[in-house]
Amino acid sequence: MEKKKLLIVEDDLVLQNSLEEFLLAEGFDVVCAIDGEEGIQKAFSEKPDLILLDIVLPRKDGYEVLREIKENQETTHVPIVLLTNLGSIADVEKALELGATTYLVKADYRLDEVTQKIKVILNRK
Amino acid sequence: MLGHKLKKRLADEFDLVKQAEDLGVSVWQTPSFLFIVMGFVILVAMTGVYFISNNYDSPDVLVISESAVVAILFTIGNFIINSFNQVAKANKMKTEFVSIASHQLKTPIAEMNWQIELLLSKFPEGLSEKQQLLIGQIERSSQKMARLVNDLLDVARIDQGRLALTKEAVDLCDVVSDAIANQQPFSTIAGIELKSACPVKSPKILIDKKRIGVALDNLISNAIKYTNKQGVVEVFLEVKNDLVQVRVRDNGVGIPSNEQCDIFKKFFRSNNSMKNNTDGTGLGLYIAKNIIEQSGGKLWFQSIEGAGSEFLFSLPIIKA
Repeated sequence: MEKKKLLIVEDDLVLQNSLEEFLLAEGFDVVCAIDGEEGIQKAFSEKPDLILLDIVLPRKDGYEVLREIKENQETTHVPIVLLTNLGSIADVEKALELGATTYLVKADYRLDEVTQKIKVILNRK
Repeated sequence: MLGHKLKKRLADEFDLVKQAEDLGVSVWQTPSFLFIVMGFVILVAMTGVYFISNNYDSPDVLVISESAVVAILFTIGNFIINSFNQVAKANKMKTEFVSIASHQLKTPIAEMNWQIELLLSKFPEGLSEKQQLLIGQIERSSQKMARLVNDLLDVARIDQGRLALTKEAVDLCDVVSDAIANQQPFSTIAGIELKSACPVKSPKILIDKKRIGVALDNLISNAIKYTNKQGVVEVFLEVKNDLVQVRVRDNGVGIPSNEQCDIFKKFFRSNNSMKNNTDGTGLGLYIAKNIIEQSGGKLWFQSIEGAGSEFLFSLPIIKA
């Protein structure tokens, strides 16, 4: 089976690195971006199968990135999983309204749970 | 019994120093003090009006004295409202502080948890058994810290009315098995038998799986904490008409009857025989009740001191 490509947009390097290594070991192809601008750029150039997106990011926040990716014909179909530590009703609603597939709170999810979610979403496609 | 309760209530009502400390305002700003002053002013005013209307036959004097009384009452009323505002504002600031601090703590906790998980699950080669054991203990401590921070954050969110539930169709049986798996290590350490039973076919319900899991974790963890060695904690799932009901029953120390009305209060911890043997924040039941009620369910309990407790909650089944 062809390797699925994931894009991680996360400015915390420790989190980005742990997630990247774990997903690589799980057999995914992984690319990373450190801020919102780079995230949008890589969403177009790398054509990922799924995007993991932080909300609090330098140079364009996650909502902005989400909006731009969903508004563009080329990338609108790519499922986006928001990874964040926010978690109030307003944040969840805003993210889902903008077209995010789902929403995970980083400190509450183990890496294998995140991976499980990703697999479920990719299989559904 | 009743007389004693009433006496205690009255003593609390008039212990102005304690009230001022509790509310974080000065003594003369406490509601009780202001009400006493108001009562006193009303008495003086009534006597004054009686005296004036007896001795002066002029409506002008009466009008002026009445106006003075109204002005005084108005000023005191204003003080009362201000002190309430101050208390409310201080409370809000405290909640916001807890919320911000917990958010900031969540990132390093997530970093720690993910790195440990990565190390143990993907790169364990070369680690001796002892090293793996120690890292496993670090992992558990870090998860404990994550739970504490989550509890504080949940309480802040509940108080601000901003607790978010991400609902999905879930088989509650899975939540029960997860919670049992989470609590099994603790029950083993405590020497308590942990049993569960689910019906063969359990319907799907629309809930936030993580949060209902937290609520159930809290109930089972309490049952384990307040049960002596060789006790039994049982978790049953039953389907009743259009409800799913979960029962967490133990044969532990039970809840003293005079504390039963307080147990869902924030930071409340029972004063029973196990108090010094168990750690806890007094937030578990408060959070569980709020999560379950916000999910459209109900949480209640029955308990006999010395015989055990049973906590029950029900959640509505969604019609497909």
